[in-house]
Amino acid sequence: MIQHLLHISHVSKHFGGNVAVSDVSFSVDEKQIFGLIGPNGAGKTTLFNCITGFFPATYGDVIFDNKKINSLRPDEVCHLGMVRTWQRVKPLGSLTVLENVMVGAFSITNSIREAEAIAQENLQSVGLTEYANKSAGSLPIGLKKKLELARVLATHPKMLLLDEICGGLNHTETGSILDIIRSVRQKGATIVFIEHDMKAVTSICDRIVVLNSGEKLAEGTPEEITNNPDVIAAYLGGGHNA
Amino acid sequence: MKQFALIVTLAAMAAALPLLIGESPYFTGIMISVLMMAALSSAWNLLGGYAGQYSFGHAAYFGAGAYTTMILITLFNLNPILCMAAGIVVACIIALITGSIVFRLRGHYFALASIAVAEIVRLSVLNFEFTGGAQGILLSDVSLWGLDLNSKNPFYYGMLLVLVVTLAITAHLRKSKTGFYLQAIREDQDAASSLGINLSFYKNKALLISAAVTSVLGSLYGVYIRFIDTSAVLDLRLSIEIILTAIIGGVGTLWGPVVGALLLVPLAEMLRSNFLGDALVKAGLVSETSGLGIFLKENLAHAHVLVYGIITVLCILYLPKGILGLFRRVK
Repeated sequence: MIQHLLHISHVSKHFGGNVAVSDVSFSVDEKQIFGLIGPNGAGKTTLFNCITGFFPATYGDVIFDNKKINSLRPDEVCHLGMVRTWQRVKPLGSLTVLENVMVGAFSITNSIREAEAIAQENLQSVGLTEYANKSAGSLPIGLKKKLELARVLATHPKMLLLDEICGGLNHTETGSILDIIRSVRQKGATIVFIEHDMKAVTSICDRIVVLNSGEKLAEGTPEEITNNPDVIAAYLGGGHNA
Repeated sequence: MKQFALIVTLAAMAAALPLLIGESPYFTGIMISVLMMAALSSAWNLLGGYAGQYSFGHAAYFGAGAYTTMILITLFNLNPILCMAAGIVVACIIALITGSIVFRLRGHYFALASIAVAEIVRLSVLNFEFTGGAQGILLSDVSLWGLDLNSKNPFYYGMLLVLVVTLAITAHLRKSKTGFYLQAIREDQDAASSLGINLSFYKNKALLISAAVTSVLGSLYGVYIRFIDTSAVLDLRLSIEIILTAIIGGVGTLWGPVVGALLLVPLAEMLRSNFLGDALVKAGLVSETSGLGIFLKENLAHAHVLVYGIITVLCILYLPKGILGLFRRVK
């Protein structure tokens, strides 16, 4: 039997009478780039919140690295090696870019000097070195997204959950983020990726799950997904491939 | 390191001050108040300024230190230093109870709950018998290591020591993992949590340090004044003065609380002693017996809170980062 790094088993999330995620199951293998797509309101971000401990799933189990993590807090999940970025970026505005990334690095070291070295390394890998001493709040959105990425990379995660990391970016910026993601995978991390940009998703993902109205609609390779009539009807709309 | 050198230099200058000025109880008294408010506000700043958790109830920890010390001295005639340690324990217990319940909540709930806890402490003290109730506690005699506790100098140096220690803790923390984590919590709790920061642990840590320092100052104050009651050491006004001092000086900066205290305490003292009214009379602008003269004399003394309020409003409008914000270069 293959060991999955992340296994989502029959996860549901109810808000009162509202069912945001309903009975979703899938597994992510090590070193995969895994896409999670679906129209607005499909429950993608809610699922991320359930996985990373921001709110617990109402039903079902989340297994990460052979541990059940349903009831763990986000900081505990981070220490197990799973960390997320935010669709609406959350820079620590009054800190500098370098200090933001150091906060991430402190999850694996207690030393200021080491944290700074790790932070510099990760700033370099996303191309933010020249902004290191700028205030994080003053960066334009494209660079804030890269900062989010550098910050989570500094925690040296086994698995990254990226919530629309390319949202609001132009083609060049998207391209450079995708390059970073590829190189991160190269170094051995696993990536789960919420994205709207179909081109980005199909070009980079090994496997894709489609959510619609909180339910899993389809799962497969990018090719299978783009040819799946249900997905085309629900998500791509009217049969035109994006 | 630069900050530590600055702290030591300024502390040495402050330590030399009484020797230069000579025996002046009035001046020493004001300086003690300045040092105490600077230290109180610095301690508050650790939690409010760095971690962004605004406590409106720091009087509770000040009162815990003061009352524990005074009660233990009057009942058992214990060494004041031991009593001070007991005060720290009591303050930390109150802080832990508050923090463990309230830090689970976000936003303004901590601020509101901190007022509630402080009021619970105040009302309990007011109604218990062993705390002296509304009469407070009067200390007739106290001694420590043969120091002359009738002189103000031991208290001047005591307050100075606590202030220096608090500033050193702050300077150390803000260049440490904990300091980074507290600031991350202030900026964005979700982001902080997702990056592996145990929110309630670090908030509680900041609260405990802050409460412990505040309680030491309460103990010192009690033995210094030798009389405490709830309106002196447990009042909401005290909590608010602590916050205003930090806000006006510069929240989340090392020296902000010191600058705030240097400005506000002498100002309050001037207003209390009718400095302005006397100056106007001396200048011949207002007659002492005229309506305005009497009005100033009778009312201005109570006006220092009003003046604090006006300064705060002006600060928020024009200096949102406090006086120290003026000197901070924008990155």
